[in-house]
Formats: sequence, structure tokens, C-alpha cells
Amino acid sequence: MNEILNQYWDFGLMAEHFDEVLDGFWITVQLSIVAGVLALAWGLLLAVLRQLPGKPLLPVRLATIAYIDVFRGVPLLIVILLISGSLPFLPLPEALRIPRWLGKPDTFWYGVMALTITYGAYMAEVYRAGIEAVAPGQTEAARSLGMSHGQAMRNVVLPQAVRKVFAPLLNDFIALMKDTTLVSVIALNEVALVGRDIQSSAFNSSALTLGALMFLAVTLPLARLVDRLIVREQGRFSRTAPRGAA
Amino acid sequence: MPGEPALRVENIHKRFGELEVLRGVDLEVGKGEVVCVLGPSGSGKSTLLRCINLLEPPEEGEIFLEGRDICKGADAPAGESGWHVDFLRQRIGIVFQQFNLFPHKTALENVTMAPEKVLGRSRHEARAKAVELLERVGLGDKLDEYPERLSGGQQQRVAIARALAMDPHVMLFDEVTSALDPELVKEVLDAIRELADEGMTMIVVTHELGFAREVGDRVVFMDEGRIVEEGAPAELLDDPGEERTRRFLGLVLER
Repeated sequence: MNEILNQYWDFGLMAEHFDEVLDGFWITVQLSIVAGVLALAWGLLLAVLRQLPGKPLLPVRLATIAYIDVFRGVPLLIVILLISGSLPFLPLPEALRIPRWLGKPDTFWYGVMALTITYGAYMAEVYRAGIEAVAPGQTEAARSLGMSHGQAMRNVVLPQAVRKVFAPLLNDFIALMKDTTLVSVIALNEVALVGRDIQSSAFNSSALTLGALMFLAVTLPLARLVDRLIVREQGRFSRTAPRGAA
Repeated sequence: MPGEPALRVENIHKRFGELEVLRGVDLEVGKGEVVCVLGPSGSGKSTLLRCINLLEPPEEGEIFLEGRDICKGADAPAGESGWHVDFLRQRIGIVFQQFNLFPHKTALENVTMAPEKVLGRSRHEARAKAVELLERVGLGDKLDEYPERLSGGQQQRVAIARALAMDPHVMLFDEVTSALDPELVKEVLDAIRELADEGMTMIVVTHELGFAREVGDRVVFMDEGRIVEEGAPAELLDDPGEERTRRFLGLVLER
């Protein structure tokens, strides 16, 4: 029994390596925030492209749908490997190269790209659900006031859609944050890799347990926040019927 | 141009799949005229308004606004792009049965949004005009309220102010009191009546016979996608020429 306990909860080992693990987790947080913000923006752009009106733009819509379908269906790990294994060898112009002035290793940016590409597709679907949940009368009212499709989207539909899906988007962000650990396979020194290195030299998993605890310190409050937002949003829905309407 | 009607629609046809909702409607509305459209549900009244506004572009027919042909021609693409949508929408306002106020904006912002974004008016100018319009419909004390805090009647009056803020030449009202509790109907009808008194050209789809009689210059009765008959309110309501009109009026009065 003690053996088992010690294997995962060796507090001495945790204390000894606390700073290293925390440094790794800090990289995890940076990766999550950069990729999370980019995926939120990229997903929104995809969702808007998918809703463009008219026949001439059909190819754009189809290309967007194909992109979303593909990257929702391909494992993130494979996307990471495809990017990191071949991007350095592609003949790209210098402007498209990894930004070095931020002082992050190339693997950090490969991770950002893979996470943005994959989670952009997930989030595009969440945004789409939000856009479709906005009553059609809203678009009609905006259009009848002379607004273009773009103006109606920007001023009327998207503000309401984003509000409706804020909680599910936050859920996707939590999932993205956990998936940043996959970037450890290309040797980015984030929390999982740091924990694994300690594990293989100490023959003890407690550093990984510590990493997991750090995750929980962030993800649990976020999950609670999601729950509260959902309750609030449902409250809003139940009050959408105007007072005095038959 | 004297004698030129404010709005003229010719031979409007609209299908939804197999269902032909409008089967050739002709209608003229003179400048300053109030035309009330009556008819059973499913008769195509609302669709007619939505066609005129191009929310549901007709498949066939023509629309003339102040003498200008809004249709780009027979070989123009189908749907919205076959019409001069901007010219039309900036001159025609519509108020819907379900109000369709923007729930994330205050009453004032609902009214100022389109003038700012579409007409490029300054915030100050748009606001001044919106305040004036909201005061006119009796909501000067509700400027900063969100729609969910307003009654149905108040919301509908905001919707009227919102449409008027674009300085429309013609107003369309699509059963604007049908979603309201009975005691809230009057305040909305009063707002429309006031507009009529000021000489606004409008088409009012309604079930309120009293309103049609009192405010309408002309009443049009529709059934099964066609105009069955039209005439002066007193004439048509008291002594309809067609059996279908008589039956409908009988049913409405029985309520």
C-alpha cells in the first residue's frame, strides 16, 4: 500500500522538483493562451466564411466545410507530427518562418500552429451553432433596415451568437489546454515532458502527479465558470418571451 | 411626377416549393395613402409585404417605387441580387409581428444602429433623431432599457421608431398587434394612426377591422394568393361584393 502511495504522492520528490514542473506548466499556460486566442479568432473566421451568402461564394463555403470536416477528423497528434516533421524542410519565404524575436523554440510554434488548425475547426462548429441559434427575424430586421449581409452579421448576429456559445467555447479551451501536453512528443519542455523526464530518472511518477494538480488548479475553476455561465444563459432563454406578448 | 403612385406592384408571384403563395398580385399605393390588407391566415398578406421588401424576392412580377423599376430585368439573377435592394430598403420600412428588436441593444441603440451604420450619420445626429422618435411614440423615459425589460407594446413602438429612423417613404406593417395582449394593442395602433395623420404612405396588414375602417383610405381583401376585392373601407366592410369577403368578415366579427 505504501509503495503505491509513494509512487504517486512522494511529497519530497514533488518539493524537490517543484520549480522545474512549474516552469514546464508556465510553458503549457503560454502555449494554451496563444493557441487558444488564435483558435478563437480562426474558428470565428471559418464560421463566418461558412455563412457567406450567394451562389458565387459557394466554393468558399464548400472549402470551409471541407477544412472543418478534415481537421475535426484527424488526430491532433498527427497534425503536430506533420507540421514539425516537414515544415523545416519546406522552401518557405523568410516572412513565413517561425518568429524568433519572441524567444520561443520552434517546437512551441509548431504546437501553436497544430492546436490552432485543429481547435479552429472545433470552435468554428461551436460558433456555427451559435449563429444558427439566433432567430432568423434578427437578420431580417437588420436587412430590412438596409444593412448588408456583413453589417447584419457584425452588428446583430455575431454579438448574440458569441454570447450564446461563450460557455461551450470555454469548454473547448479547457480541452485545448489539456491537449497541449501532446506537444511534448516533439520535445517542447512543457509540463508533461518535464514530468516524464523526472519520472524516468527517479522511477517515480509524483512529478507528473504534481503537473496534474497544476492543471486542476486551472481547469476546475474554469469548469465551474462554464457551469455558471450555462445556468445564466438558460435563465436568459427562459426570459426571452417579452412581457405582454400573447 | 403628379399621378405617379408611391408604390406599384405588378403581377407578383411567389412560390415556396410546390406551394404558390402569391398568384399574381397587383397593387398601387398613392402617396400618403393608407392601404389596409385583410384576409384569412395563409392568404398571402404577409408574404406580399415580405416580397415588397424583398425579404422574400418574388419569382415573377415587378415593383415600382416612386416610378423607378426595382427589378433589374428578366435576365437578372434570381433572388435578392436581381433587384435594386439598397434603393428599395432605404426607402421602405417594415415592422414585424414579432417586433424583432435587437436584444443585446438598448431601445435607443436599436434605433440609432442602422442610421449610423447604413446612412453614416454621426452618433450625435442619430441619437438626437432617435430620442425625438422614441419620445413621439411615448417612450422618452425608456431610452436605456433593454428590450427584455419592455412590454410587448413598448417593444413594438420601439420597432416603429427604429423603422422611422431611416426616413422611409413607405411603411409596411405586418400584423404588428397580433402578438400583443389585448390591452396593449391600442397604444401601438395609436402610434400608427398618428403616422397616418402625418401623411405617411403605408400598407397595413391587420385583423383590426375597426382600425382599417377608421384609418384606412382603402381596404384590400386577399384570399389564396390573390386580391379578391378592394374598395373604400366603409363600402368593403359593410357591403362586400364577394362571397368570400363576406364569409371572412362574418367570422372575424363573430370573435
